[in-house]
Amino acid sequence: MIVQLLGLFARRLLVAIPILLVVSALVFVVLRVLPVDPAAMSMPPNATKAEIEMKRQEMGLDRPLPEQYAIWLGQTLKGDLGTSIHFRRAVSSLIAETLPATIELAALAMLIAAVLGFAGGLLLFHLRGTLRGEAADLGSTVLMSAPDFLWGLMFILAFGVVWPLLPFTGRLASSFARPVHTGFLILDTLIEGRPDMFLDALKHMVLPATALGLAFSVPIMRVLRSSLYEIDHADYIRQARLRGVSEGRILLRHALKNAILPTLTLMGVQFGFLFGGTLLIEVIYSYPGLGNLMVDAVRNADLPIIQAVALAYAAVVLLINMIVDGLYLVLNPRLRTA
Amino acid sequence: MGKRFLKKELAFLRSGRVIVGVALVGIVVSCALFAPFLAPHDPEEQNLITTLLPPAWSAGGDPAYLLGTDSLGRDVLSRLLYGARVAMTVAVAASFGAMLIGSTLAHLAGYFGGKVDWLIGRAVDVWMSFPPVVLSLVLMTGLGAGISSVILAIVLVDWTRFCRVLRAEVLVTRRQDYVAAARLVGFSHWRTLTREILPATMPLLITLLSIEMGIAVIVEAILSFVGMSVGANQSAWGQMIADARQTLYESGWNLVLPMLAIFVTVLGFNLLGDGLRRTLDPRLLQAREL
Repeated sequence: MIVQLLGLFARRLLVAIPILLVVSALVFVVLRVLPVDPAAMSMPPNATKAEIEMKRQEMGLDRPLPEQYAIWLGQTLKGDLGTSIHFRRAVSSLIAETLPATIELAALAMLIAAVLGFAGGLLLFHLRGTLRGEAADLGSTVLMSAPDFLWGLMFILAFGVVWPLLPFTGRLASSFARPVHTGFLILDTLIEGRPDMFLDALKHMVLPATALGLAFSVPIMRVLRSSLYEIDHADYIRQARLRGVSEGRILLRHALKNAILPTLTLMGVQFGFLFGGTLLIEVIYSYPGLGNLMVDAVRNADLPIIQAVALAYAAVVLLINMIVDGLYLVLNPRLRTA
Repeated sequence: MGKRFLKKELAFLRSGRVIVGVALVGIVVSCALFAPFLAPHDPEEQNLITTLLPPAWSAGGDPAYLLGTDSLGRDVLSRLLYGARVAMTVAVAASFGAMLIGSTLAHLAGYFGGKVDWLIGRAVDVWMSFPPVVLSLVLMTGLGAGISSVILAIVLVDWTRFCRVLRAEVLVTRRQDYVAAARLVGFSHWRTLTREILPATMPLLITLLSIEMGIAVIVEAILSFVGMSVGANQSAWGQMIADARQTLYESGWNLVLPMLAIFVTVLGFNLLGDGLRRTLDPRLLQAREL
């Protein structure tokens, strides 16, 4: 099976690389039709036209677009993502600082989404055909109408302001000095052997991760519910029922195993969206991750950052899809025998 | 046929969704249409003496400002009503645009298959590798702030939602005997697509359109929240949320009200879409009769 997994990853990589190339080219072209001049923006306001023109040449903005793209691509492949116009720092180090924060947040949110999604899906299926089931179904439509950032704001108001229970800005209380080992705060605090700091970091993640997880759990619930519905009519379920197997056992041992596959496919897509959802949640919670970096960059028209961050998002989404495909292979015995 | 469905469905709670959805959307649309007549104040008029008033029914409220005022003394109710204009404009324009592009490509891909399908499929793959918010921010950087840019950005991001789902539906429909019959009788591709296939995919298309309107409302709120939509002084719900975040401790109402407006609007579109799917989808109807 390991050979098969490696084969799958190799195939997916072959697809992912051209996609990333097209994505980078797209981003490049879109950002070059920009009404602002990045050269002028990186100069002090009293710079003369000649000075700006020199800067343009220095930044390579006077060359034809395909050439600019080729230069940028070559540098990116060497790991040089350029220098931020606004922060005047290497973009690669800015991303290295913020990406772990976002991955950490997204991972916890995914966990919450998966747990809530499965629990909710089973509940919705269990209540099928009853009035309470109809109400729960309606409830899930209502839940779905509140996007992640509304949950985020609601949680801030409820558990941060009205009933101050949890912190809602940043990753760590300012009284702590942030340890830097891996960039993943949860790991770093454990490496330092500081349970108090670990708890504080976790507390800072509870509200944003729950807001995200809650919003993305609803589609998971609904797909799990409908695939359970479909499987409920299958012969082997009827057989099990005739043999007198209890409903709970049928659900957990027979139905869930098969219903999990379409749910997993959806979760792959959802997790890609969820990773994008961190962007706004980070802004709302002043959480120093990729999303805040991106929004700041958009406000400052900081092209090198926007390009690199957009590419980073796309790369992570493709990676998530790859992992989900691998999981699919592991969990679906029908794909394994081939 | 439509009438028979309606009679049968009216008894169900399911069509209740459509009714409630239409009612909610109707309220928001009328707010948007009649904002100049309904709004008690100019939404942009500042009054620095009466800032952060609570709603009229709570202590310290002023009946002249029914839902209170924001940090610049602007009337919240009037701003909400004018915000509905922005939201509805974007919802209708962006979702029709996305539908036009997405469903055209979906029908071409599903009907002709082969290279056309491959090309459109790869384009969708590229688009799907972007989180929608990130792509719309990149587009907004290129297009510049403003409501028409918001609409264009949503169209350019969300056409894939229509394309992916509808393509599968077209694939199924294309294999039906009546489509083959139409071709044999000598219908052109265009006529087969518009007269034979489109009617079959229409229910799904309408459902998706309704859901997309809700998504467009959310995206507009997100973009105006980060300051990329309308001007800072104009009323948009996302803008109101961004303003209210600055005065979180003084007035929670300023935050809750625009959030409620977004929620109710999106709920209306989702209920409508969900209800339509349940009443229009022939396969779901069959499943229920079993």
